[in-house]
Amino acid sequence: MNAWFWAAVVLLFGLIPCGVVTLRGDPLNRLLGLEMGGMIATLEMVLLSEAFNNANFMDLPLCLALLAFGGGLVFVRFLERWL
Amino acid sequence: MKAADIAVEVSLGIAVVTALICCLGLALMKDFFEKLHYMSTVCTVSSFFVLLAVVLKEGAGQAAIKMALIFVALLIMNAVLTHASARAARVRTFGTWLADPTGPIPYPAGQGEEMSEEARELNEC
Repeated sequence: MNAWFWAAVVLLFGLIPCGVVTLRGDPLNRLLGLEMGGMIATLEMVLLSEAFNNANFMDLPLCLALLAFGGGLVFVRFLERWL
Repeated sequence: MKAADIAVEVSLGIAVVTALICCLGLALMKDFFEKLHYMSTVCTVSSFFVLLAVVLKEGAGQAAIKMALIFVALLIMNAVLTHASARAARVRTFGTWLADPTGPIPYPAGQGEEMSEEARELNEC
């Protein structure tokens, strides 16, 4: 277990408050939980790919960073106008 | 233990602790606009220190280039997403996101239609 593994394990606990925010409150606050969870998951995957010493795994967090942005914008658009 | 290893672990520690504090802040803050601030710290401070740790460990290789791309993606996209979220919140709260200084002070939709005395004076002068 190297430092990257430990950092990945500890960062995982950051998803708990994001989950709590996503499951409670009004839609807009839930959206913030989702967006923050997307960022934490992106960093989590970077730490894991370094922990496994495999640079090819880095493609996953790069895709997640781009797609989480798109998903967040779709939610924002709906919350602004129709929901 | 080499100095580079220590620097990597310190960078990782800063990144993870910052992210955890911001997640707690997101959960504990009451107001939507206050919560919004905590997102920018994760994608600037935390991802920068993760980038620093990757570069220290791998040097200028494939992993560092991809992590730099992730850092730039998070940086730019979080700014856009934060602004869009704030705008959506303002539209849902006030019915419009326009902040017209000369117009009447917008009250939250459906609450407090009548203005207080000071607000009326403020509007007339």
